[in-house]
Amino acid sequence: MNRLKAIADGQDIESVVHEEVMSCDPVLSIQNFSLYYGRKQALHSITMPIAKGLVTALVGPSGCGKSTLLRSVNRMNDLIDSVSIEGDMLLGGDSIFSPGLDVIQLRKRMGMVFQKPNPFPMSIFENVVYPLRIDGERNKSTLMQVCEQSLRGAALWDEVKDRLGESGLSLSGGQQQRLCIARAIASDPEVLLLDEPCSALDPIATSKIEDLIEKLKGDYSILIVTHNMQQASRISDHTAFMYLGRLVEMGPTSTIFTRPRLRETEDYITGRFG
Amino acid sequence: MSQTLQRSRGNHRVAAQGEPMIWLTGGMFAIACLMILCLLGFVLYQGLATLWPRNYLLVGMLDGELAAGEYLERRSYVLSQQNLKDLGPKSRAEAEGLLGQQSEVTSHQWYLRTGNYEVTNRHFQFVPEVSMASDAPLYPPDIWLLERRQWGNLYGFPKRFSWDIDSRTTSMQAVHEAMKETAKISHRMEAAKRELEHLDRRLANARLSVRQVELSEDSDLQKVTEDVLAAAMNETSVDPSMESRFLPVIQSVSQRAKDALMHLAREAIEVQAEQVHINEELATLEQEIQSRSIVMQLPVLDSIGSISVSKNALTSSKTCPEELHPLLGLEGIPSDYTMRAAAIAEHQFLVALQRSETQPTYVWFHTDPASDTATVYGLREHTVLVADIVRLIAPNQLSFLGKLGVYADRWTEFLFGQPREAGVEGGVFPAIWGTIVMTLIMSMVVMPFGVLAALYMREYARGGWLLSAIRISINNLAGVPSIVYGVFGLSFFCYTIGGYIDGGPVKAGFTPWPEATWFSALALFAIVGLIAFTLSFLTGQNAEKNSFWLRWLSLGSGLLWIATLVGVVILLIKIPMFRGFYEAQLPNPTFGKGCLLWAACTLALLTLPVVIVATEEALAAVPNSLREGSYACGAGKWQTIERIVLPYARPGIITGFILAMARGAGEVAPMMLVGAIPLTTDLPLDLEFPFLHGSRSFMHLGFQIYALGFQSQNSEAAKPMVFTATLLLLTIVTLLNLTAIWLRARLRKRFQSSQF
Repeated sequence: MNRLKAIADGQDIESVVHEEVMSCDPVLSIQNFSLYYGRKQALHSITMPIAKGLVTALVGPSGCGKSTLLRSVNRMNDLIDSVSIEGDMLLGGDSIFSPGLDVIQLRKRMGMVFQKPNPFPMSIFENVVYPLRIDGERNKSTLMQVCEQSLRGAALWDEVKDRLGESGLSLSGGQQQRLCIARAIASDPEVLLLDEPCSALDPIATSKIEDLIEKLKGDYSILIVTHNMQQASRISDHTAFMYLGRLVEMGPTSTIFTRPRLRETEDYITGRFG
Repeated sequence: MSQTLQRSRGNHRVAAQGEPMIWLTGGMFAIACLMILCLLGFVLYQGLATLWPRNYLLVGMLDGELAAGEYLERRSYVLSQQNLKDLGPKSRAEAEGLLGQQSEVTSHQWYLRTGNYEVTNRHFQFVPEVSMASDAPLYPPDIWLLERRQWGNLYGFPKRFSWDIDSRTTSMQAVHEAMKETAKISHRMEAAKRELEHLDRRLANARLSVRQVELSEDSDLQKVTEDVLAAAMNETSVDPSMESRFLPVIQSVSQRAKDALMHLAREAIEVQAEQVHINEELATLEQEIQSRSIVMQLPVLDSIGSISVSKNALTSSKTCPEELHPLLGLEGIPSDYTMRAAAIAEHQFLVALQRSETQPTYVWFHTDPASDTATVYGLREHTVLVADIVRLIAPNQLSFLGKLGVYADRWTEFLFGQPREAGVEGGVFPAIWGTIVMTLIMSMVVMPFGVLAALYMREYARGGWLLSAIRISINNLAGVPSIVYGVFGLSFFCYTIGGYIDGGPVKAGFTPWPEATWFSALALFAIVGLIAFTLSFLTGQNAEKNSFWLRWLSLGSGLLWIATLVGVVILLIKIPMFRGFYEAQLPNPTFGKGCLLWAACTLALLTLPVVIVATEEALAAVPNSLREGSYACGAGKWQTIERIVLPYARPGIITGFILAMARGAGEVAPMMLVGAIPLTTDLPLDLEFPFLHGSRSFMHLGFQIYALGFQSQNSEAAKPMVFTATLLLLTIVTLLNLTAIWLRARLRKRFQSSQF
């Protein structure tokens, strides 16, 4: 408990990142990243690699900065006026926060899925090909091909292939979320950012999404925020435990869930704290 | 614990439960509903009943007059000692008997539409029941109602026709035939008059081109123009040699002026020749029109003498009394005539004298029971041109279906016809059309402004005190009395901008600068604009660098842009070269007066807050998760707005927009100032080039209600029209609102979500 108490008191602590994680091939590396909402610091000098082709889970109690970190990766926090940052992140060697960077091009290299399914008020087909549409793609066969590919990728094709023209809002919650995943992978991103994608879904829909994440692993590098410890242990390869804006421990999921190096992590994982 | 429970029970108050509030709130609700229903019911009844044909009745009065008219309704009134003095002696005795010792008593009077305005000088009449000699009025079956182009309705018995009538047809059919014929003639006359107008315009255009030359050369051609026109009067046709005859008149002017003047001369000669031709044709047609007329007998009495005849003899006899014959000056011998007497009251009779195959002559007898004599009254005769008749019916002969037919016919005329008699009769089509066209133009103006402004405020602008202040101001603007907009529209749009278009800065009330000053100012503002452009270009290039001096630089460029804009406005109002697009027409204003365009602009301004507020609310209702989802896909700001935000907000935007249209369509106060006029046959949008006439004044339904009800010379006669027009306006506004509701429901369905 000392570390957590120290964090709560505002002291800096050393993050524990396992060697297995450090030695892997990162698609995204976060380097000394700090973020402020106005004067209030929300992230404290976080350094972590996101391994290529693997699933990295961010866990931690509410308000620990998981979502903020995730939303920093594709610079969604730019939409909030008072945000300022220090440090940097590198996506395949390119600095995400360099001044001359085209944010729109950056976002096209990532897919993001939100907590609540947010299909657009248009047809299923148009929902999926939206990223291509905004790039000005008009070729019908290309669009159709991408649509089918993405929907198959999101394990939704068989359910909707006969009603691509219907509103995306006519689907059930779980289907809507898979539609959002299909949309996220339509532009063939390097990283997939999932922000508690199952928190608004029932257990059956959740298990479908989890199966889907298993399937997508390898083709995409996935960064997922979750509150559900079982989910993290089931689907992720690496797990990072955060607390009050600081990274506490990060390691291979099997290690983190069976014999973490820190007692604080074990307490949180087992539910004794948090 | 149990103690407190008991105490609260002991102090139990009904009010604490809120039950009585049901009565208060429900009562208020019921009163509100009742008021709305009363208003709607009143307008609906009055509006629908106006055009329904009523029965025409004659009723004899105690003091010997005859009351006649279309029976509208029976109203109660207070009969008091004061209003006794308005009654004749016999009626007063009757009324005194009714009053007894009381100072006042409630009695009834009949409300009659009398028509025959040029004889009776009134359209409506109240007939007190105390003055009536009989409770049972007479409904003469062969009374005719002529709806005319002038002077309103005429009620009477037909007596003579100026043309020969085929004996196989009824007289009514014959008149209908004649009406069709005269309608054709009137049609040709109208065409001829239009032709005359066209000729006038040709001449005016030719004069205008001379005036344009005059303005551009700064010369005075007034005198020589008059001379040319005078010389043209002596010519009969255009021929090659005529130029030589005009040369002495126009030799002192420039070549351009010469050309324009010669053109004017040729036009004047041609126009003159054609005018003579058309006027001859018109005169012939006019003669034909005048040759078809009907002599009507109106129920207005003229005493012509007295004869000795008893009441019994009058009712039993079937032949005409000999003495009557010379009094009436009837043709033929008395025995040719049959006589029918119908009792109006105990001593009053309407007597029809008829010779076979002709129309009956009506006389009115007032018998004296004491002396067996009767005073004879003739009915006043009045000649009506067939061409003046719009509709002819015999109201007392109509069955219910017949009345329904007349009713439908009158509604058709009301909705699609031109107004007659200063709008009191006839149709309101120009008003409906004017309202529709004006509202459409208004929407085209207000839509882009409102939606784009709201988009900026909601999607782009950074929140802050300035934005809040602007938002509050816009909300307040929606509550500004509409007459204020009217005054603003008149002074800004009509006089300033309209004047500027007509006659340049001078006409709009500005003093232009000398050319040197103006060009120096032009250079100055061009430099300022260039600097502003360079600065904003520089800041745009370095937008990512969030440095201190860059912020000041962008602020500076913004200020310079504003300065440039102000400069452009100043340059426009101080320009010395521009003399307006319609200078030649001055002093007659073209755009510098109330007209369709400025009315639409004023209303657009008035409805702008409604559109902005509605659009902003619709935009605020778009879930942020959708915007984020779009950004996460790599969409830009405008792409997100265009593809996600606007489609989602569309139902709300359209609803607000239609509500604004409904408000604009019903607005009257600004219309009075910026372009609506009570009567015109010119439509704002018609088949005449350039089809949409922005500079025309127009009729407006809301303004029509005001003008007819309160501004016309005869507002009593216009009252029925006011209610019908009100009903129509309410219907249009209701339809617009219903469309809004339907559209919203339809569009909502498309975005309907089935959440979990």
